[in-house]
Amino acid sequence: MLIPHPLLGLRDAQEFTYLGDAALLDRPSPEGEGAEAAFCDYVFLRGNPAGVHRELWFHEQGDRSWLVVTRNTLTHEILGAELASKVAKALKGAAE
Amino acid sequence: MADLRPLTALGADTARSARFGALTLTERPDIALASLALRAGAAEPAPFGLTLPGPGGLSGSQDHAAFWTGAGQWMVLAEGRAETDFAAELRAVAPGCSVTEQTDGWAGVDITAPGADPLERLTERLVNLPPEALAPGRATRTVLHHMPVLALRHSDTRLTLFAMRSAAASLWHALETSAQRQAVS
Repeated sequence: MLIPHPLLGLRDAQEFTYLGDAALLDRPSPEGEGAEAAFCDYVFLRGNPAGVHRELWFHEQGDRSWLVVTRNTLTHEILGAELASKVAKALKGAAE
Repeated sequence: MADLRPLTALGADTARSARFGALTLTERPDIALASLALRAGAAEPAPFGLTLPGPGGLSGSQDHAAFWTGAGQWMVLAEGRAETDFAAELRAVAPGCSVTEQTDGWAGVDITAPGADPLERLTERLVNLPPEALAPGRATRTVLHHMPVLALRHSDTRLTLFAMRSAAASLWHALETSAQRQAVS
C-alpha cells in the first residue's frame, strides 16, 4: 500500500503508523452547556464506516508529519492525503 | 590518568572500508551533524551561505550541506569537522533557531561506485522508495532493515547513509550483505 504524501510523494505504508478517525482533530470546547457530553462522545464514540473514511496516519519513519488520509475501508484504496496541520488550521478558521 | 582512545561507531581506531565489486563502503566518523529547527513564525536563515532546501532536498557542498528532515527542520553537516563543536558554529550563524548537536548520535557510511547504476541497483533492494526520491541532490529519512536511516544522494556516484550510532554494526551488516550479493550476481 502506498500513501501519497503531500510533500514527499508516494511512500510505503510501512513508514507510517495508524491512529484512527480524523474526527479527533475536531476537539469540542471544554466550556459551556453540554461540554461534558460532547467530550464523552469525542473520547469514546467512533464511526466505523464500511466505505470512505478519513483517518490520521503518522509518518514516523519519514518526516514525522501527521496526515489525514482518505481511505476506502472496503477496498483499501487510498483516495488522498493532506497534512493534518493544514486540516486542523482550516477547522480552527471555520470555528472562529 | 586513564588513556582514553576514541573509537569509531564500528568499534575500531580507524574508519572501516570494504569493496564489493563496483561498490565501496566507507565508514565516515568525520562528518559533523547538527539539526536546525525554526521557531514558530521565524524566517529561514541561510547558515554558511546555504539555501535551506525544500522537502526531500539536499543542498551544499563538502564543506557544508543541509537537507530537509521535516517541516521547518533541517540537518546540517560538515565533512571532516566531527571533532569540533559544530553545533556552536551553526548556532552562531542561525540566530533564533533551535540547534542541537547530532554528530555522536549517528553512524555514517558512504557508498561509492564508478557510476550511478550499481548504486541504484543497491538502493532498489534496500529501501522502498521511488528512484527519484534518491536522485542526485535528494535526501530523505526512511527505513532500511527496520532501522530509521537518513539517506543522502550527493551525486551520481555517492550515497551516504546515517543510522543510529548504536545500530552501526546492523547497518554495516545490511549493506555488506546486499553489496556482496550484488557483486556475485
